[in-house]
Amino acid sequence: MDRHKIIRIVILLIFTILLSRAAYLQIVQGDYYYELSEGNRISVRPINAPRGRIYDKRGEIIVSNRLSYNLYLMQNEIPPESSAAEILNKLSQISSLAESRLLQNYKNSEVDTAVEPILLARHLDKEDMVIIAENKDILPGLIVNESSMRDYIYPEKLVHATGYIGEINEQELISFNEQGYNYRGGDFVGKGGLEKEYEFYLNGERGAEQIEVNSRGKKIKTIGIKNPEAGNDLILNINFSLQSVLEDLLEKNYNQLRELAAEDEDRSTPTGIAAVVMDIDTGGILASASLPDYNLNLFAKGISSSDYQELINDPLRPMINRTTMTAVPPASIFKLVTGTAAMEELGVRANTSFYDSNGTFSIPNWSRPFKNWNPVGEGKLDFVKAIARSNNVVFYELGYELYKEYKGEKLAEYAHKYGLGTKTDIDLPSEKSGLVPDDSWKRSNLNQGWYPGDSVNLSIGQGSLLTTPVQIASLISTVAAEGVSYKPQLVKEIRGADGDIVETFKPEIRIDLRDEVEPEVFEALKEGMHDVVNKSYGTASRHFSDFPVKAAGKTGTAQTGGANHGWFGGFAPYEDPQIAIVVFIENGGSSAYSVPIAREIMEYYFGFKNYENGRKKIYYNSREE
Amino acid sequence: MNWNKKFLRYLNFNVPFAVILLILIGFISISSAVEINQAGSGALRFLQKQAVSVVLGLLVVFIMQAFDYKIFKQYAILIYISMLLMLTATLFLGQGVSGGAHWISIGAFNLQTSELSKIMLILVLAAVIDNNSDDMGYLKGMFLPSIVAFIPFSLVILQNDLGTALVLFFIYLLMLFAGGGNFKYMASVFGGGFLVIVSTITAHVFFNTPLPFLKEYQLNRLIVFINPNIDPHGSGYNIIQSIIALGSGRSFGKGLFAGTQNQLNFLPEKHTDFIFSVIGEEFGFLGTAVVILLFLFLLWQFLSIAENARDRYGYLVMIGIIAMFLFHVLENVGMTMGIMPITGIPLPFISYGGTFMLTSLTAVAIAININLRKNKLMF
Repeated sequence: MDRHKIIRIVILLIFTILLSRAAYLQIVQGDYYYELSEGNRISVRPINAPRGRIYDKRGEIIVSNRLSYNLYLMQNEIPPESSAAEILNKLSQISSLAESRLLQNYKNSEVDTAVEPILLARHLDKEDMVIIAENKDILPGLIVNESSMRDYIYPEKLVHATGYIGEINEQELISFNEQGYNYRGGDFVGKGGLEKEYEFYLNGERGAEQIEVNSRGKKIKTIGIKNPEAGNDLILNINFSLQSVLEDLLEKNYNQLRELAAEDEDRSTPTGIAAVVMDIDTGGILASASLPDYNLNLFAKGISSSDYQELINDPLRPMINRTTMTAVPPASIFKLVTGTAAMEELGVRANTSFYDSNGTFSIPNWSRPFKNWNPVGEGKLDFVKAIARSNNVVFYELGYELYKEYKGEKLAEYAHKYGLGTKTDIDLPSEKSGLVPDDSWKRSNLNQGWYPGDSVNLSIGQGSLLTTPVQIASLISTVAAEGVSYKPQLVKEIRGADGDIVETFKPEIRIDLRDEVEPEVFEALKEGMHDVVNKSYGTASRHFSDFPVKAAGKTGTAQTGGANHGWFGGFAPYEDPQIAIVVFIENGGSSAYSVPIAREIMEYYFGFKNYENGRKKIYYNSREE
Repeated sequence: MNWNKKFLRYLNFNVPFAVILLILIGFISISSAVEINQAGSGALRFLQKQAVSVVLGLLVVFIMQAFDYKIFKQYAILIYISMLLMLTATLFLGQGVSGGAHWISIGAFNLQTSELSKIMLILVLAAVIDNNSDDMGYLKGMFLPSIVAFIPFSLVILQNDLGTALVLFFIYLLMLFAGGGNFKYMASVFGGGFLVIVSTITAHVFFNTPLPFLKEYQLNRLIVFINPNIDPHGSGYNIIQSIIALGSGRSFGKGLFAGTQNQLNFLPEKHTDFIFSVIGEEFGFLGTAVVILLFLFLLWQFLSIAENARDRYGYLVMIGIIAMFLFHVLENVGMTMGIMPITGIPLPFISYGGTFMLTSLTAVAIAININLRKNKLMF
């Protein structure tokens, strides 16, 4: 036979097969498949995706998940002779679940179609699960589904950075779904901290099981499964051992100071304490703590409204992360900025000498003198020593000179160069940007011009200037690294549930002053900071005597009208800076209390101290990472 | 240039008619598959890209009529070399998903080189077979075409693109047959090969013997259609969902945008590989029958163009084009109905995808060229 004819026949044959198959599926079996697809006999049951886990930089798990069981009602699986109300009533009679609550959840559900599951109850306990399973036949349409809930390995550690979770609210639901994500009412989402910042990474994608059910609502078989996708895991820059030591230290000091204040009415009562340890070479946050805090387990199952009210009405504001959400005057730590401006703009050098005759500085034609913290005149001192002694008189004078040359602008300009007044863009929500006051700010906010006294006040970090601890960590880091610092970053890496790297956060330069500020300036500032800690006359030397690593730092006591805030910002080792530390005590009275905390952290970090509380001294090599 | 107004008299209008109808059906189905009825679906982007490919393809259809198709034979070697270069370049420079390197980015376009290689192979193979026509009944005549087809076939396999490789193989097979290849040899080599493959796979499934060439997931996709329930969560899922979608359309369909399988996203890859399921669900047997019959109608026109071609080269090119479309339709439609393995090749003129649309319209352009230059009736 002619080959061309054979080809024709083959084509006809193939098309006949295709057409017959289509006719068979659509005409012969059409009704069956139609019912399957229309939901009369098909049901889509959700399969929840576990939230991503959180690990520290060494892979120690900090936040995980555990199995939990949710109860759903599938309306389309309820047989016609029964009703949802009847089933819920039966359920409430035999289980511990209250009918009113079940009915409320049922009515509040916003499902568009009968094939969507309605979440009736979360985190069933074992007894109820057994009861529901045993009474399956009289409770059609009820399904118990695996879900996951947060399992906080250390529910009282790294609380603020981790952040809490809670049920999605209406605005979130709308906005997330508009952004193309697939959320449903009743879902748990991050409400604070990393849980919020990385919500779309942590949240996986829900799966579904399509099943065929019979007329009594019983599952006949599985038709299809869309597997859920687990959320991505966060690998932090946090060194969890360091974090634990830091938190224990803060807690110990915070409680001690509060006890002392209770006994002695002259002492101020601290209302909060916070500290940040940052890797100078990367901006990675090695430890970050803020007290008071709360117990993360309060939120794991959804917080009760009474617990929540208690938390937000607590006058000590435990929900505030004081490392990023509290901005107060940095006080004398700001002298690093004033010093930079003075050296760059006024020609001050490391050995430029100043004279403090009586501990006061007066602006010509200005009645009230500005005082040093030391009521006695300190005599002749050079620029470096002025930093070490934190001598206000010298810096008042510099502030005034800057005012004479540039009015209110120059100092603010340098503050901005160091990243003050703007968010550090640390990967945490609700960060405060702080405030650097200048002439135009004062005019539009206080309706006043910029006075010489404002410059003088600003020169020692007082007045309207506001900074967060993490901004100060960034400032210290910039000085330590002689002009460069990186964006503070908690998350180092994001990994898929299978361990594949999804995203790596490379260090990102945030501040670079190398072209604008002479190396000599940083050398002088660092020398001053070195002397703060290492010279007998330094303001922090008492706590750093015979310290085995050469450290450097700057103290600050911020006057607010009420109790003073205590600051210390430091770095170590002096010759080869690796970490920057900031300790901040809100209403703590003086910088004196923050210095020993910084010292202990450095000791631990560099491996010079064994720590009790069950932890071995294993971090001798911490700094090599 | 080689153009004569008289050519137009020979135009088989059924070809453009069928093609345009299929493309229109494609646009409607893609609109539904990408949920153009839902706000914020970003669906327009798909339609725009598809429209750009259609316009480019139609330009090719018009421009190509200015040349005589014999130039493809004259420059066969050049075409062949550029095809090999293109496929090799894709292997090294290409980008792709899930372990395969399928396309090269040219500006905003991702050019899937393996798609273009289908047409190029047809043009080259026709030349080689035509030149060897006296020897085609013998092994020595079949040797060169086989080598010519084998090299691009292997390169496409290396790209991990099993679907296109099968298309190339089918083109080769049908052209060899139409070109007078020795049937006994073909039956024993390919029949034997088929047996070897089937027994290797059977042995792998039942005795877990090692599997050459294929990756596990490719094998799963290949054999799961025999019984989707062996893997209802993975490869079987697509087939089950597709069959429910098609079947549930019954005689007249659920209506445009009303397919629940489609709109609830239970259908996988619905604007590309599984577009036929969308048509089946929303337009029922009426829709599927129209599409199947339109393809049959189009291939029938191609067969008559082939018979009336001016020369043997034109005939062979037409057979290659027929083979390409035939295999695409059989494989794609068969896959959605659960009678062919899942290999992920698109439905011509209908599936979303720029390069294949361009390839298909280029094939149509060549078919029309051959149609216009039939000389039997030229006086």
